Amino acid sequence: MSRPGFVLEVDERTPPVLIHRGEGFGVERFPLGTHVVYPPDSLPAVRDIDAAIALALQHPHGTDPLRELLTPSTRLTVVIDDICTPAPSMRAPDIRQRVVEAVLEIAAEQQVDDVELVAANGLQRRMTAAELRHLVGERVYGSFTPDRLHNHDAEDRANLVGIGATDAGHDVEINRRVAESDLVVHVSVVTSAIAGNCRSLAARIASYATVRDENAYATAHPGSDDAPAADRLGVVLERQVPIFVVEATLDHGDSARQLAFLGKREWEWSLRDQAAYVGVKRLNDLGPGRVRHRIWQHAQASYGVTAVCAGRPAEVRARTLETLHRQQLTEVDGQSDVVVFGLPSASASSVNSIMNPILAMSLGLGVYFNSFRGRPLLRPGGALILYHPMQQQFHPVHHPSYIDFFEEVLAETTDPATIASKYQDQFAGDEWYRHLYRNSYAFHGAHPFLMWYLGARALAHAGDIICVGADRPTASRLGFRTASTLADALEMASGKVGRSPSIAYLHGAPNTIADVR
Amino acid sequence: MGLVDEVKMVSHARDWRGRSRTPRSAERWAAPKERREFPTAWARTTPARLARAGIQRGLLGPLVWSQVSPRVYGADRLDRVDGPVVIVANHSSHLDTPLLLRSLPPRLAQHVAVGAAADYFFDARWRATVSALMFNAFPVERLGNRRIKSIAPELLAEGWNLLLFPEATRSPDGWMHPFRLGTAQLCCNAGVPAVPVAIRGAYAAMPRGRNWPRPGRPRIAIRFGPPLVPETGETAADFSVRMLDAVTQLWAEEELGWWGSSRAAGTLMPPTGPAGAEWRRQWEATRPLPDAGARGRIWRP
Repeated sequence: MSRPGFVLEVDERTPPVLIHRGEGFGVERFPLGTHVVYPPDSLPAVRDIDAAIALALQHPHGTDPLRELLTPSTRLTVVIDDICTPAPSMRAPDIRQRVVEAVLEIAAEQQVDDVELVAANGLQRRMTAAELRHLVGERVYGSFTPDRLHNHDAEDRANLVGIGATDAGHDVEINRRVAESDLVVHVSVVTSAIAGNCRSLAARIASYATVRDENAYATAHPGSDDAPAADRLGVVLERQVPIFVVEATLDHGDSARQLAFLGKREWEWSLRDQAAYVGVKRLNDLGPGRVRHRIWQHAQASYGVTAVCAGRPAEVRARTLETLHRQQLTEVDGQSDVVVFGLPSASASSVNSIMNPILAMSLGLGVYFNSFRGRPLLRPGGALILYHPMQQQFHPVHHPSYIDFFEEVLAETTDPATIASKYQDQFAGDEWYRHLYRNSYAFHGAHPFLMWYLGARALAHAGDIICVGADRPTASRLGFRTASTLADALEMASGKVGRSPSIAYLHGAPNTIADVR
Repeated sequence: MGLVDEVKMVSHARDWRGRSRTPRSAERWAAPKERREFPTAWARTTPARLARAGIQRGLLGPLVWSQVSPRVYGADRLDRVDGPVVIVANHSSHLDTPLLLRSLPPRLAQHVAVGAAADYFFDARWRATVSALMFNAFPVERLGNRRIKSIAPELLAEGWNLLLFPEATRSPDGWMHPFRLGTAQLCCNAGVPAVPVAIRGAYAAMPRGRNWPRPGRPRIAIRFGPPLVPETGETAADFSVRMLDAVTQLWAEEELGWWGSSRAAGTLMPPTGPAGAEWRRQWEATRPLPDAGARGRIWRP
């Protein structure tokens, strides 16, 4: 029986609380009375994953069993989410590999010949061969490359096709293979209750023009119940293409034994945990930056699968959300004047790459800030405190447009509306970025814009944003202030929130969602 | 932040063992304590026995005897006992075990395993190790919530004598408390005799809360009674009453003498202390035993 999430009120008994700071971590002594929001413990994992997958495929929700949907003449496309989830990556075998193998096993039994696999990258970079192999496993990779396993290309005009228009009147273009399939099986891992299934699928197999028109990224993300543009894409997609969804949900994941303290509540740390904390932290702090970076960016975790659910998108989504809410939701009583986030080095767009300042901003202000149900954890006009070094480092291959976005766009303005109207089309239409996106392993030229928009709501909501331990020029470019310590940050924020603000720290985000009452 | 500062930071609000108290708001969600069993078989190997004999005879015994003045009565009643037996005693002080082990005839003392509270003596590895090495302690479940399988029957079967305290815990006020049935049940099931022992003065010498005997070498009396053999068909409840009566009689020997307490057998009430205010019970329980020499004689009219 896993323990539910709860809100800790820091008292004199409370030891310092763990907080991430990019490629590092530390413990912080929060002021007495600070509310620390802990997620529920990991739910019990499914013991026999293969049996759970088979059961889900045999008894789907709202549709016939997969076996009955397949005939020898079926044109079947299996769409797989890319490696952006979970973060850190799942230690092999990835659950998606197991699901894809089970789907293909049934397809083989039904003698389906026309089968293709599409990796739903959206505007993210193409996956490398090694990443694809990790994702689908050696057997699938060997059987379907090079012709029948593709990365989606949002700029490949020859392989994009219109399937209708949204209620807003925008044309919807999606991957041709998906659009022309008799059945699409979407295999995904859902790690957060604030991301969708069919919502994100539509945005991830659409053309850039469709994503731009519907601003799908900004609205497909958390806290977006007010403007479900991606839902509109999903509605069109489902109307045109029969979709069979297989979703798996994961627990919080286990790190190596030496890092077990990362998953424990601090007052339950044993002497060994404390020794491990000090030892690992010292090694991490003193180690060469390149080694540290390599370890953090290539870290993998063992996840337990808490549920596998299959069937029609809407029905699967409801069940998946129910599981995820049990895993991540913690009830919080009211908003706070100050909210603290410790940002780790892993985010959806920095897998096997570098967590650049813009991704750090979108993680903090886009993902963490939006990890709520009801209303934001931060009161309007409150102060947001982020822990992240925000070093001016970019991956030249993966994030070329981010470099120019940082140097040119953010030097002019940080206002999302101005950025969108003035610069987005220029970057999206840049032939060099397009070439790199299509032929190299670069994110789309417009990707940094979409990441920036994720934080738009927080930018408008927060009265002050202060980064603890950040590189001052970089944070300043992003429009944030910097502080050396939490005490300094609170002092700086006192102009907005007073001398005795209510403080909340979201522990374990993004696997924690504050259900703010 | 330097290493020292790092250690200071992480150990803030923790005790010297690195443990932190659960914050008040988290008490409701405290993780259930993991059941942890500590192996004690190593403490019954020959090297451990030799080490224990050295510690008890060369260190612990002399140390205890230097701090208190124990007098042992009735050890001759164990002359014909060759084990295995269960030694049952009243329990009011941490001195009880070392006193008893030193007071037993060596041939029995070398082959005694001591039942110790699993939740106290076996909750930390270092304490379990020390307990097992110094006293040949084995864990005894007294709270009934961890479901540790008792190894007492196996120890008896292997020929070990057991030292058990049927009250299950140290007396909080120095007086005797009801015996639990577990010890009697063990004797009846295994068919082994119980040797009753009464310890007087240990509470006054080192009550709960003290970790060193009071100064002045207070006097302590240890009285062994004749072994009680469970009769065929005797229930654990009946045998437990017999054990309690025997310890009560030995307790009363201090005031009545052997003859007096023998004559009063069957009419003596367990020494539960005077009724009345708590301080009066404490006052009586900590009353120093009179000097044995001052009483002058064992036989009384």
